Amino acid sequence: MEQLEKEHILVRPEDYDKNFSTLNLGPTHPATHGIFQNILTMNGETIIDAEQTIGYIHRSFEKLAERRAFYQITTLTDRLNYCSSPINNIGWQMTIEKLLGVETSKRIDYMRIIVMELARIADHLICNSVIGVDSGALTGFVYVFQQREKIYEIYEEICGARLTTNLGRIGGFERDFSPSVVKKIKEFISNLPKVIRQFEKLLYRNRIFMDRTINVGGISAERALNYGFTGPCLRAAGVDYDVRAMNPYSSYNDFEFTIPVGTNGDTYDRFCVRQEEIWQSISLVKNALENLPEGSYHMDVPEFYLPPKEDVYSKMESLIWHFKIVMGEIEVPVGEVYHSVEGGNGELGFYLVSDGGRTPYRLHFRRPCFIYYQAFPEMVRGSFLSDAILTMSSMNVIAGELDA
Amino acid sequence: MERLLIQNSLQEKFMDAIISFDDSSDIFTVTVKKQVIVDVILFIKEELGFQFLTDLCGIHYPDQEFQLGVVYHLHNLPLNTRIRVKTFTSLAEPEIDTLTTVFSGANWMERETYDFFGIIFTNHPNLIRILNVEYLDYFPMRKEYPLEDQTRTDKDDRFFGR
Repeated sequence: MEQLEKEHILVRPEDYDKNFSTLNLGPTHPATHGIFQNILTMNGETIIDAEQTIGYIHRSFEKLAERRAFYQITTLTDRLNYCSSPINNIGWQMTIEKLLGVETSKRIDYMRIIVMELARIADHLICNSVIGVDSGALTGFVYVFQQREKIYEIYEEICGARLTTNLGRIGGFERDFSPSVVKKIKEFISNLPKVIRQFEKLLYRNRIFMDRTINVGGISAERALNYGFTGPCLRAAGVDYDVRAMNPYSSYNDFEFTIPVGTNGDTYDRFCVRQEEIWQSISLVKNALENLPEGSYHMDVPEFYLPPKEDVYSKMESLIWHFKIVMGEIEVPVGEVYHSVEGGNGELGFYLVSDGGRTPYRLHFRRPCFIYYQAFPEMVRGSFLSDAILTMSSMNVIAGELDA
Repeated sequence: MERLLIQNSLQEKFMDAIISFDDSSDIFTVTVKKQVIVDVILFIKEELGFQFLTDLCGIHYPDQEFQLGVVYHLHNLPLNTRIRVKTFTSLAEPEIDTLTTVFSGANWMERETYDFFGIIFTNHPNLIRILNVEYLDYFPMRKEYPLEDQTRTDKDDRFFGR
């Protein structure tokens, strides 16, 4: 019995005689905010070592994608980082556009920026308010969750879905922004700053919150780069790498925004970086909406963009295209592309190899939190259990993205 | 960074261990023999400044002699250039040296590649399956592993891609 127990809790043989205790954090612990397990070796309340077990919700998207038409893969990307699905959707659509050589118009680019920045706000709001919850401040969480609801209402107005959005199409959008979408976005953007300011007042200079987060779960810039950190976690460590600025996709270079960076790479810095990014996103959405050019909301890609329904019923060619698209009978050129967008957690990359068939030959998702979550043991070693919880939530590990 | 510069310095240093250079896709691609892969990436990192490992993944070409491949994407952050390094190995000898000595982040990416393609990274500190269950006895991303039930007659492959 004792032997069996030892095998299962993964204590190393040399530690058998020591008085360490082993703690299973997860897979269904409320503080992990997702299904993954941490086996912690504890000395009293101090963490000696952590070992992660992931894969509980692995759905084999990369294999599934090898047998799906390109437009059907958008629905798979929804389920990666489900806190900001539109970024994944649009990132994937831009990957195919890059392979096909489709240049999108400014209107589509700006519409995409609006949607992606709204998604980023939603993602950061959840992450930051959950840091508050894990340190004992539930009020802020409930307060900003109302705002996320408003973002979901905007998604609903744009595409009809809330969480798994399947938003946008290859070559643009399914439909134009209706006047009600524009109204809702304007309303949201004008109301949000007040809420964010109040949320920041609750936490930024809160003694308890600062004591719980400053110098907790820190990582140096050098180690972060070596681990492949991207996104807010890397910027908190002091490296100003942002895909939006480095490789401006979707006309991000038309707008001015600053990239906030931290210094220590600790939980407080990650919180502050995300908080500042929300402000940048608000101004990006505002600018993009003000400067939204006139024009069509989709490009002319008959092989991928469904023709209008009335044409399908009345025109031969449209009917053929409709059938071919829906049945996934479109062949794409041979080639390989890597395209990345700045997701909620960092560089979300799509590596697509096409052999000229109707489905990808190989599709690999570079999931940012899969790559940086492996640094977790190094970040929590020697700290308290309650600090490890905060470190984990500030890394914003999303189980869907972790497991793909 | 100039592609020509990268090409010349790699050619000079590694000579015939470099199989090919490919400029046709979006990222400059170098294919090297698997014996030198760690040396090449260390050289690219230290001498050419590609200090960030963006991605590492496997690929399987059943029709080639060297079926299994590993694709590395590296990024030179100050100059904002990317490079893609590929290496291939045969199904009979699926061993490739680990990159964990150069990049800590390669740890899980190599475990994922092992999990799905069965590529064995020698000297990896903890090469066990990561996303699939431990007792799985095949490598699901290899092309011979069918995604759907291949005995189905109501679906014709001609109509559904491959």
